[in-house]
Amino acid sequence: MEPLFESLRETTRRHFFGQCKVGIGAMALASLLAEERRAVAASRAEGSALPGLPHFRPRAKHVIYLHMAGSPPQQELFDHKPALKKHDGQPCPAEYLEGERFAFIKGTPRLLGTPYEFRPHGRSGTLVSELLPNISRCIDDIAVVKSMHTDFFNHAPAQMFLHTGVQRFGNPSMGSWLVYGLGSENRNLPGFVVLVSGGKVPSAGKSVWGSGFLPTIYQGVQCRSSGEPVLYLGDPRGMSRDVRRRSLDAIRDLNRIRYEQHLDPETVTRIGQYEMAFRMQMAVPGAMDIAREPAHVLESYGASPGGASFANNCLLARRLVEQGVRFVQLFDWGWDAHGTGKHDDIIHQLPKKCGETDRPIAALIEDLKNRGLLDDTLIVWSGEFGRTPMNEKRNNSKFLGRDHHPHAFTIWMAGGGVRGGITHGETDELGYFAAEKKVHVHDLQATILHLMGIDHEKLTYRFMGLDQRLTGVTRESHVQHELIA
Amino acid sequence: MVVLLALLAVPLHAGGGDASGSVDFNREVKPTLAARCFKCHGGVKRKSGLSLLFRDQATARLRSGKRAIVPGEAAASELLRRVTAEDPDERMPPDGKPLTAEQIDALRRWIAAGAPYDTHWSLVPPAKTTLPRLRDSRDVRGAIDVFIAASLEREGIEATRPADRATLIRRLSLDLIGLPPTIDEIDAFENDRSPDAYERLIDRLLASPRFGERWARRWLDLARYADTQGYEKDNRRTIWRYRDWVIDAFNRDLAYDRFTIEQLAGDLLPDAGNNQLLATAFHRNTMTNTEGGTDDEEFRVAAVMDRVNTTWQVWMGTTFGCVQCHSHPYDPFKHEDYYRFLAFLNNTEDSDKPDERPTVATPTPEQSRRIEALERELASARELLGRSTPELAAARQRWTEQIAGARGWTTPRVESATAESDVALRALDDGSLLVAADASAANDAYTLRLEPGDRGRLTALRLEALPHESLPANGPGRAPDGNFVLSGIAVSVVLADGSEERLVELSRARADFEQKDFPVAHVLSNPDVARHGWAVHPQAGKPHEAVFVASSPVELAAGDRLVVRLEHRYGQPEFTLGRFRVSITGDPARVAAGDVPPAVVQAASRAPEERTAEESAELERVFRELAPELAPVRARIAALEKERASIQPPTTPILRELPADRRRTTHVFTRGSFLDPAEAVEPGVPQAMHALDDAPGDRGSGGGASADRLAMARWIASPGNPLTGRVAVNRVWEQLFGIGLVETSEDFGTQGTLPTHPELLDWLAVRFTGDFAWSMKRLLREIVTSAAYRRSSAATPELLARDPKNLLLARGPRLRLEAEMVRDQSLAVSGLLSSTMFGPSVMPPQPDGVWQVVYSGDSWKTSPGADKYRRGLYTFWRRTSPYPSMMAFDATSREYCTIRRLRTNTPLQALVTLNDPVYVEAAQALARRIVREGGRDVASRLRYAFRLCLGRPPVDLEIERLSALVTSELEHFRADADAAHALATSELGPAPEGLDHAELAAWTVVGNVLMNLDEFLTKG
Repeated sequence: MEPLFESLRETTRRHFFGQCKVGIGAMALASLLAEERRAVAASRAEGSALPGLPHFRPRAKHVIYLHMAGSPPQQELFDHKPALKKHDGQPCPAEYLEGERFAFIKGTPRLLGTPYEFRPHGRSGTLVSELLPNISRCIDDIAVVKSMHTDFFNHAPAQMFLHTGVQRFGNPSMGSWLVYGLGSENRNLPGFVVLVSGGKVPSAGKSVWGSGFLPTIYQGVQCRSSGEPVLYLGDPRGMSRDVRRRSLDAIRDLNRIRYEQHLDPETVTRIGQYEMAFRMQMAVPGAMDIAREPAHVLESYGASPGGASFANNCLLARRLVEQGVRFVQLFDWGWDAHGTGKHDDIIHQLPKKCGETDRPIAALIEDLKNRGLLDDTLIVWSGEFGRTPMNEKRNNSKFLGRDHHPHAFTIWMAGGGVRGGITHGETDELGYFAAEKKVHVHDLQATILHLMGIDHEKLTYRFMGLDQRLTGVTRESHVQHELIA
Repeated sequence: MVVLLALLAVPLHAGGGDASGSVDFNREVKPTLAARCFKCHGGVKRKSGLSLLFRDQATARLRSGKRAIVPGEAAASELLRRVTAEDPDERMPPDGKPLTAEQIDALRRWIAAGAPYDTHWSLVPPAKTTLPRLRDSRDVRGAIDVFIAASLEREGIEATRPADRATLIRRLSLDLIGLPPTIDEIDAFENDRSPDAYERLIDRLLASPRFGERWARRWLDLARYADTQGYEKDNRRTIWRYRDWVIDAFNRDLAYDRFTIEQLAGDLLPDAGNNQLLATAFHRNTMTNTEGGTDDEEFRVAAVMDRVNTTWQVWMGTTFGCVQCHSHPYDPFKHEDYYRFLAFLNNTEDSDKPDERPTVATPTPEQSRRIEALERELASARELLGRSTPELAAARQRWTEQIAGARGWTTPRVESATAESDVALRALDDGSLLVAADASAANDAYTLRLEPGDRGRLTALRLEALPHESLPANGPGRAPDGNFVLSGIAVSVVLADGSEERLVELSRARADFEQKDFPVAHVLSNPDVARHGWAVHPQAGKPHEAVFVASSPVELAAGDRLVVRLEHRYGQPEFTLGRFRVSITGDPARVAAGDVPPAVVQAASRAPEERTAEESAELERVFRELAPELAPVRARIAALEKERASIQPPTTPILRELPADRRRTTHVFTRGSFLDPAEAVEPGVPQAMHALDDAPGDRGSGGGASADRLAMARWIASPGNPLTGRVAVNRVWEQLFGIGLVETSEDFGTQGTLPTHPELLDWLAVRFTGDFAWSMKRLLREIVTSAAYRRSSAATPELLARDPKNLLLARGPRLRLEAEMVRDQSLAVSGLLSSTMFGPSVMPPQPDGVWQVVYSGDSWKTSPGADKYRRGLYTFWRRTSPYPSMMAFDATSREYCTIRRLRTNTPLQALVTLNDPVYVEAAQALARRIVREGGRDVASRLRYAFRLCLGRPPVDLEIERLSALVTSELEHFRADADAAHALATSELGPAPEGLDHAELAAWTVVGNVLMNLDEFLTKG
């Protein structure tokens, strides 16, 4: 049990004070100190996880989730569709369009074959686009899932659905569930850290890393790559570390005096949380300081200290995982390739985004591997949905782009017990629908939890009269065992 | 606690577990079914076809041919056989421990007694029970205490002693107005030895305008009030008038039944005014999705479902949301019940539109006051305009003669007339021009060159629009109905030698007739030529005239030419003049007369005795509008009217019912999906509850198609509703004590917790809805006068062990303050807090980069001046990025209704109150206050600071500890002037003359320490 969470684990605290009830009244100041240490020790002895967790041997201890917000076009990156190229420019067959709703496409759209070349890579011979030369290099560590599908085709609901299992606001995100269930490994850092690049937060806002109905302590802590890494982390101007330490000592002592009079367990918790805050003040800036990395590492990621970039965030993700952070969530903005102009098309914008992310992602995989961390770190790469096999051509745009598409998209996973070098599932000839071994978003969530040693049906929280869970209460979800090594 | 509750359970309901062997279904049977059986045999899952949720299902013959429950025959009931089966494969429930002997016995007795499914306790109307008898009633101040003492006696627990006065006034102030008491207030209360000192303190606090702010804050979580629309774009929404309505409603103690009805159906009340319309914004706080490509109907339905769920959550403590997909898994609500209830709310006009319509524009109280003052001034100015004096009478006489004798219009010869198009303009004998009938009639401009003749002057120009049989509908325009739209006019003088062309400035215009929204004034100043101009519908077919007056008279020399250009630029073609004539005059009297309606000119030319009374009155009126003597009064009136028109009342989204011919039919949605509608339903309330027509009211309605939202609101706000009173009372209790009498204040159903003091809950509910006539202030007064509320919150090891959550109320409440109070209290004790109430939400300082807005360029701009020190409830609330320091203290995003906020205790909270510049500034301000007002020596300053922050003087140990801190920090900052300067002034600005930076910095550290104490952040 880590101090960061102990306050919220009411049961734990009750448990501790339940055990100690006999002596509490007589507790003197000095013994309270010991009690604090014992409280931490007692809770730690219970382990950082909920009772009974993990449910079975975990394959991964950490997750790095790389979310390409806006959703990349699978046709340009992983889902090679020669038929689409062959029929490029022809109207989309009517049977596909019957009853379909699109975000922007109107009338009968035309098929769009990819302008990019695909080549087989690695021992597995997996086909990867020329846009991703570095990821191609790591392909034997990667399991590509081409048969993903989702229920929503607007950004915000689809992002919520992917991260919280429900398209509406108000539910805990995957990282919150995991930290709630498994706890954290580092007493000085939050267990769930969020890093954002591309200049903008995801469409669904901070709710995609919110804790929903779970206690707020489980929400993702957005660490910022410029300014303070955690809000309000820095001491006031003019207050040195010594002054802060002396003022915290005074707060602690006065709180103890009060505790003697009231015996409120919350007071003990608060004393602990102020200490935790102090430790975070000391640990977080260091953990977040990539300038401490050697030049060749910075170079391999393409990271440059001081800026806000996806490359920096990848390197940070490795540093955080290395220090025991349970769930690192990266969001990168700018993948919504509609083709309304140069800024969002697949000829100019997409190669730019691939250029920004391809090298750092490959560096991350290789860096983790070299450090022996890839085995228990699961990397997931995805958007929130797919993109249409048709050119969107909004307002007769001359730029090539694709509309939102829920029926098929590609994600990949690596490390953390994932079987590398495989391709899972296929789409139909035109890549319109996921066709073989379909994987629903809830199945992906169930699989991620499974890799973390959790039965997704058993990690629940009672809310609104139901035992809520990440994979939702209505649909039956399936762990994708073929993806697991 | 299990033991405790079991003990509590015994005397709860008369007849429970009596000697006859009958059994209390709600207490002894249903909890077992709910905990161990419903998961597989309930509303969602029906394994083996069995549901134990309803009696008819539980007793039905199953696919296997067996019956789980055979009423009266325990031995024949499969349920009993299975729960007692020896074989683990047979035994139910399949996982976990077998049922206990007591549970099985209760089931057996219950089935033997006929397996009656008693109504769940919260659906049985509350009733006052007789007060229990106590062995010792020393510690009893009222009925509340009798109930609490009874359970304490049963448990053999002794309550703590009463809290001291300093503790009590701080607790009461925080609870009733959300702010700490001032030192003066503490002194006054501590020194008040009259027997009703406490009661008078309550009355003072209940009467404070701060009261409404504190209690509105709570309600706004329920109402999911926010300043943005939510979803991806999360654009701004103007709905703060609703927030102000809630504050005002609490302050005037609007009865809770009326408070309820106005918010749910204020628009349908027979006496609905602006206030009632504003109240309905309660349900317009649902989110609106303006992302491209979203289906408005999908999100309209989502909003209506949210209204259904919120209504049930807020007023009836029931999680109704599950029922949208399937019958309630645990409570007696069926799938159709949801949609029947939804039908009440499904016929409002709003439909997820970005502009939030329908809205209502209502002046704020401040605006109303200004409007009232303006109206008063206008009335007196108008009175002045109408007043008679001899001077005015004489002036009117002169004026009448002048306009009567004015020279007429002359029509100059037309030297040339051309059109921008190829249209030919033919001069007729009367000097008018006619457009050839066969010419195309697009937009056009005509240019006339006129010969005014001998030297003279030009004061005004008249344009006559004349009918002609060759024109459509006889003209005078060329539109199919004879109309035209004149967009602009330009008049210039070309000197006789052609050397110069001078534009004639036209100052005003009038016409004998103006089409609605097409006034002639637009010809002179046209906001949008495609949409505005002078037109005459529905008076086409008749002659019309417009007079344009020159700003100053123009002298014309012989041979000068006049050039007149008439523009037609209306958005549709054909709206051009077909026949027209231009005349001029140089007589100022003619100009004066030109402003006068022809009928008045005629009247002026007759002798006074020949005028009718109406004509005389009209003459007088027109004179007063034109007389130069009255120009100042008219200017005053114009200015007042301009200001009146400039007051723009804010608009607020409201509920408005669709007209009868546009009403929607409500369908049951299969599994809650709006794309999958099943059978149609009519509005109605769940069958498991009291009927709709039990609700009193002048429009009582029997349900079915005639039942409306108002009937639903009255059904909720009725003393006959078993839930409404209990839920409201419980929520207030929860605010004061931290835990409600029903701990799960969001769920009074089977899955919620049972009340710890059911008789007290019912007694309070009956008092509230009956004796107190739903008055919140009376309810609060009743609770805070109890001995239970006034107890010391100090625990003993025994109490902590017996009752860690203080469910038995042997001690007073001790709770961490809620987010807004943490802020408000820091600003209050440091003296920064602004007391300004109401108005648009404000933006206190927030770290850069917190708002990253995807689409709109909206940004966070710190409010200027005292607005950055406003109370927390006025903070701008963006749903996708709420104010971060308050979120750290468990404020909610307000995307959905939140019944209960969590009370967490996290390091991120410590970082806020230690380091957030808002709190650093408060510490700096507190330091200056202490140094200036707290005396000279350290001990007296500490005593002052303690009383400011905590309401009590420090004990010696505390003085000792903080004196040591003062000493060390003084030494530190004396040695580091830069640090001292920074810490003393960084947020608050330069220190006042004569104050020492090192001293201020040291006391800023102390202020920061005090504002981070557990005791400061806690109501104790």
